[in-house]
Amino acid sequence: MTAEARAAARPDAPAVVALQDVTKVYRMGRVDVPALRAVTLQIARGEYVAIMGPSGSGKSTLMNLIGCLDRPTSGSYLLDGQDVSRMTDDQFADVRNRRIGFVFQTFNLLARMSALRNVELPLLYGGVPRAERRRRAFAALEQVGLAGRVAHTPQELSGGEQQRVAIARALVGTPAILLADEPTGNLDSHAGDEILAIFQELNGGGITLAMVTHDGRVAEHARRILSLRDGLLVSDELVAQPIIARRPLAG
Amino acid sequence: MEVLEAFAVALEALRAHKLRSFLTMLGVIIGVAAVIALVSVGQTVRSSVVGEFAELGPDLLWVFPGKADEGGPVPTAEGRLTLTYDDARAISRGAPSVSDVTPFLQTSIEVAAGSEKAVTTVIGTTPNLLTVRSLRVRYGRFLQEADLVRRNRVAVIGETLARALFRLPSRAVGRTVTIGGRAFTVVGVLVPEGSMLGVDLDDRAYLPLTTAQQLFNINYASFLFVKARDVGSVARAMRETQRILLREHGDEDFTVLTQSQLLGSLNAILRILTIALSSIGAISLLVGGIGIMNIMLVSVTERTREIGIRKAVGARRMDILTQFLIEAIGISLIGGILGTVVGLGIAFGISSKLFESRPSLADSLPIVVLAFSFSTLVGVAFGVYPAWRAAGLHPIEALRYE
Repeated sequence: MTAEARAAARPDAPAVVALQDVTKVYRMGRVDVPALRAVTLQIARGEYVAIMGPSGSGKSTLMNLIGCLDRPTSGSYLLDGQDVSRMTDDQFADVRNRRIGFVFQTFNLLARMSALRNVELPLLYGGVPRAERRRRAFAALEQVGLAGRVAHTPQELSGGEQQRVAIARALVGTPAILLADEPTGNLDSHAGDEILAIFQELNGGGITLAMVTHDGRVAEHARRILSLRDGLLVSDELVAQPIIARRPLAG
Repeated sequence: MEVLEAFAVALEALRAHKLRSFLTMLGVIIGVAAVIALVSVGQTVRSSVVGEFAELGPDLLWVFPGKADEGGPVPTAEGRLTLTYDDARAISRGAPSVSDVTPFLQTSIEVAAGSEKAVTTVIGTTPNLLTVRSLRVRYGRFLQEADLVRRNRVAVIGETLARALFRLPSRAVGRTVTIGGRAFTVVGVLVPEGSMLGVDLDDRAYLPLTTAQQLFNINYASFLFVKARDVGSVARAMRETQRILLREHGDEDFTVLTQSQLLGSLNAILRILTIALSSIGAISLLVGGIGIMNIMLVSVTERTREIGIRKAVGARRMDILTQFLIEAIGISLIGGILGTVVGLGIAFGISSKLFESRPSLADSLPIVVLAFSFSTLVGVAFGVYPAWRAAGLHPIEALRYE
């Protein structure tokens, strides 16, 4: 079943992400290197999509485009029904702030700040008042099981805990979609499973997720797998039976 | 982002590199301290010198040897030392608007009493200096007309000199001092005047002008004090003095200045001095600013990844720009505060040592405000470029930065 067919089959679930013939060309010196070639895809609300492909396949480029960190060379991109492909830098910043949540392979937390302050960061730029910022950041940390670690700085936390802080930061602004780039890449399998369990839990709660990975087993935790090769979308399949991650988070 | 938050973030960043922040601040501290100290001292010099001359009274005229050059504020005393006691007497006789003329001959020479010796300022003058300079006699008497006529070897000395030569000023009268190999009798000791510009006005010996001229084998005076009858007749006294001296000399080889002209000239010179001093301070402040820019550029490079993270979660250009700008301003502002404290401390120290007077805080306020706003301006001027660079980073490249 194609993405279009599926979107058509579920009119009650409008596309959060709709890419139409999106192309991205990087200029390396004098040579144009195409990173994405006419990719068309849709991600509906509530989906959990894994994006797979070998390095150089364009999966990171796709992630950056969906995450509004970069603009397509051509083609259109509707995020939540709004055309974001021709926005200014500041409009992009607002879109990232309100509609996108990022989780990176290397966590990307600010080292000098406590977990709570790190999670507050998107709300700070969103102009949320201090008291509400505190409350929402605390709630997000609670959601990832770190209520007891709010005052710790990243270096006082394990890798898995740091990634959970990053997830809380991605969630705190109630984004339309949560984007994860190799979220388990820097973690041992135990911590990685924790993260995957949290993702499934969040998805179960209705949160839309897209996760880039090169690890087939990790991808099998999602409900749909997109495969890229040489900048082309080569397959788009539903996962018949997603692996259920163990739930090491008691309670 | 709220300004208060931005300040908190900036302070946090400065605290994270305490030594570096302090060293960067040091440039601003030195600059601001230099500006404030130099300008305050300059101001104190000005008000002290100007005040000293102003105290002499608005009815006073000065006659200097030599013709003032066009545009030259004060004539040079060197070369044409043509003013004589006869000139003074001619003015006294011929100028109805003049009440007093006092020649003033000043030099530095060794004075001895027994085994005690001191190099002091010796002034040859006439008795009416007492009224012109408002001097008061503590022991004995001042110079008299008879001393002048008879070229008496008498001296009136200041208290500092009296102490140096005789321990007790009260015991000085009647004793003998040796000046230039000749014996002089001390006939009076003056009430202390204090000091001006670090010069002790009580370390002096006053001799009759005629005696002094004989002693040094000269016939001129350094300059003449001319006192007008009253404030209203200053202009007339000036014209009369000029006319008489022109008649006596046949050539305009002298310059008559009123007190306000002299004060104007002094003010002009001292203002140039103050400007020169503050320029030196300003240059060090500029160097401090370059230091800020340097460190901010390093800081932006170092924190490229942080900037990428902030951008990824929604920081706009302005947010990043403000953050780094506030950091730069923070450095210069804190530096400015510390520099002000140090600068005022230095200024007060120097002023109380040199002038026995402290610059009032009110006097220093304009320069403090100026140095403060200048240092903030330095922070902005040298912080804008690094901040602008930070704000312009592409989020993807910034996130990739190792």
